[in-house]
Amino acid sequence: MNYRTKIRLQNILVYSILSIIVFFSLFPVVWMCIISLKDTSESISGFNSLWIAHPTLGNFSKLFNAIPIWTNLYNSAFTTLLGTITTLFFCSLAGFAFAKYRFPGKQFLFYFVIATMLVPPEVGSVPLFIIMKNVGLINNLWSLVIPRIATAVGIFYMTQYIKDVPTEIIEASRIDGCGDFKIFTRVVIPIIKPALASWAVLTLIARWNDFFWPILFLRSSKKYTLMVSISLLPISDGLSTPWPVIMAGTTFAIIPIIVLYLMLQGLQKAGLTTGAVKG
Amino acid sequence: MKIIKAVKRYRYPYLFILPFFLLFLIFQLIPLIWTVGISFTEWNGIGSPKSVGLGNYQLLMKDYMFWDAVKNTVYYWVTGVVFILLLALLVSSLLNNKGLKASRFFKTASFLPNVCAAIAMGIIFGMLFDENAGLINQILVTFGGTRVPWLTSVTMSKIPVVILNVWRNTPWFTMIVLSGLLNISPEYYEAATVDGATAVQKFFKITLPSLSNILFFCFITLTVDSWKIFNEPYILSGPGTSNVSLFQYMYQSGFSIFKMGYAAAIGCILTLILLIISIVQFAIRVRQGEM
Repeated sequence: MNYRTKIRLQNILVYSILSIIVFFSLFPVVWMCIISLKDTSESISGFNSLWIAHPTLGNFSKLFNAIPIWTNLYNSAFTTLLGTITTLFFCSLAGFAFAKYRFPGKQFLFYFVIATMLVPPEVGSVPLFIIMKNVGLINNLWSLVIPRIATAVGIFYMTQYIKDVPTEIIEASRIDGCGDFKIFTRVVIPIIKPALASWAVLTLIARWNDFFWPILFLRSSKKYTLMVSISLLPISDGLSTPWPVIMAGTTFAIIPIIVLYLMLQGLQKAGLTTGAVKG
Repeated sequence: MKIIKAVKRYRYPYLFILPFFLLFLIFQLIPLIWTVGISFTEWNGIGSPKSVGLGNYQLLMKDYMFWDAVKNTVYYWVTGVVFILLLALLVSSLLNNKGLKASRFFKTASFLPNVCAAIAMGIIFGMLFDENAGLINQILVTFGGTRVPWLTSVTMSKIPVVILNVWRNTPWFTMIVLSGLLNISPEYYEAATVDGATAVQKFFKITLPSLSNILFFCFITLTVDSWKIFNEPYILSGPGTSNVSLFQYMYQSGFSIFKMGYAAAIGCILTLILLIISIVQFAIRVRQGEM
């Protein structure tokens, strides 16, 4: 076997493994979309689920009648957007302090921030529920935003990135009479836009898909986010599970974030993967 | 006096990091300490808690449902770490191929599972693995197998949870490992090629050692994530406690049957387990001279 055939064989192997992985990655989502468009009278068992004879949007209108899905959509969008904007701002602000300032206890405090990642906040959910109740945040959308305004992993990521911002620029603007906060908003933020963008995508996805905190803090169907609302669909109709309607619900919950992800991915020149985590 | 002076002089950086520490105090540290306190009481959430000493912990040791949940969680942890890290290494190495065409497409498409919500995908996997109507069993039957009661049998119900977990979380770690691969200098590989090293030798002598920090980071994150796994077993619930996770059992004890003290005790044990695993891991790293 000469060198060229070896390379060719290797290429075939690489592309076929990658194609298999892409197939398994996409299949469940495509399959869900197919079923959500099937008429309820069509069979959905086994191989019958793979094609549609009479595509219909009927399942979606049934879904809209079953749950207050537009309100749920608004709740999801509200907490996701507000959560992402606030966390981007406060994580990069703290990252700026850790990357570009010298102050007593900096090393210790930074390691402390990282160490907090080892114990997830979920373990304290019993008293956290009581705290939320006492400050009136139960069944309130702000309960999903406020506790995560500044997260350890976000601060870690932003610190790594802001370290690469040239210190000379910051010093120069300080000599020009810029205040500390102004340096952050006028000088640092414009430079770290790519990092903000990729962190924004990851936060948007995580917040949109969030389930544990919403199911803990939100207590009425008008306040539910999309995820909580659709998680209750399978048990809402008793014995005969209306699969196509449920699939319409999951499609409704998943497609917006996929579209957003693809759009933002297209906007970023380098893509998500470059510089996301530095080794 | 010295402290006040320092705070005044360095007020900006302190002010900038203050939000995190304030939120950490209110929403993480106080709840954690409070959890320890509640764990020594019997409490239904209303009224005043009744002190029971170590009673909750003694009950837990005898509670077979608790031990089921521990076993299931260990199962999710081990399978998650092994399958996710192996797959992430494989996929990221393939994506790191220099001459790969359409690499943008492959990266975007293979990351997609991580974009999809675990809850929504859990519902879909529930239908895929349905005993009678599901596609998986139909395929098994077509190839001469028998129908498997995936979600209705005690022995099988963990498998769909593991598959969903691996399916959804591998892309995230693929991305992290890939960023590590991009940082390895190509000169190492060129030098190894000149010396006549095989691809396997290059992988074990260059790639793996260079990735050791990244893989350590992945291991720690995967461990924390696995011990707090909730969405997947919640939505793909099997019979009884056959696939309940420890964290899910804590949630049920606290918020379905309102045994707050009992739930808090589970939370304490969970915290203890995570701390022990982290300390052991860091100790190993320090001994190996990596940190």
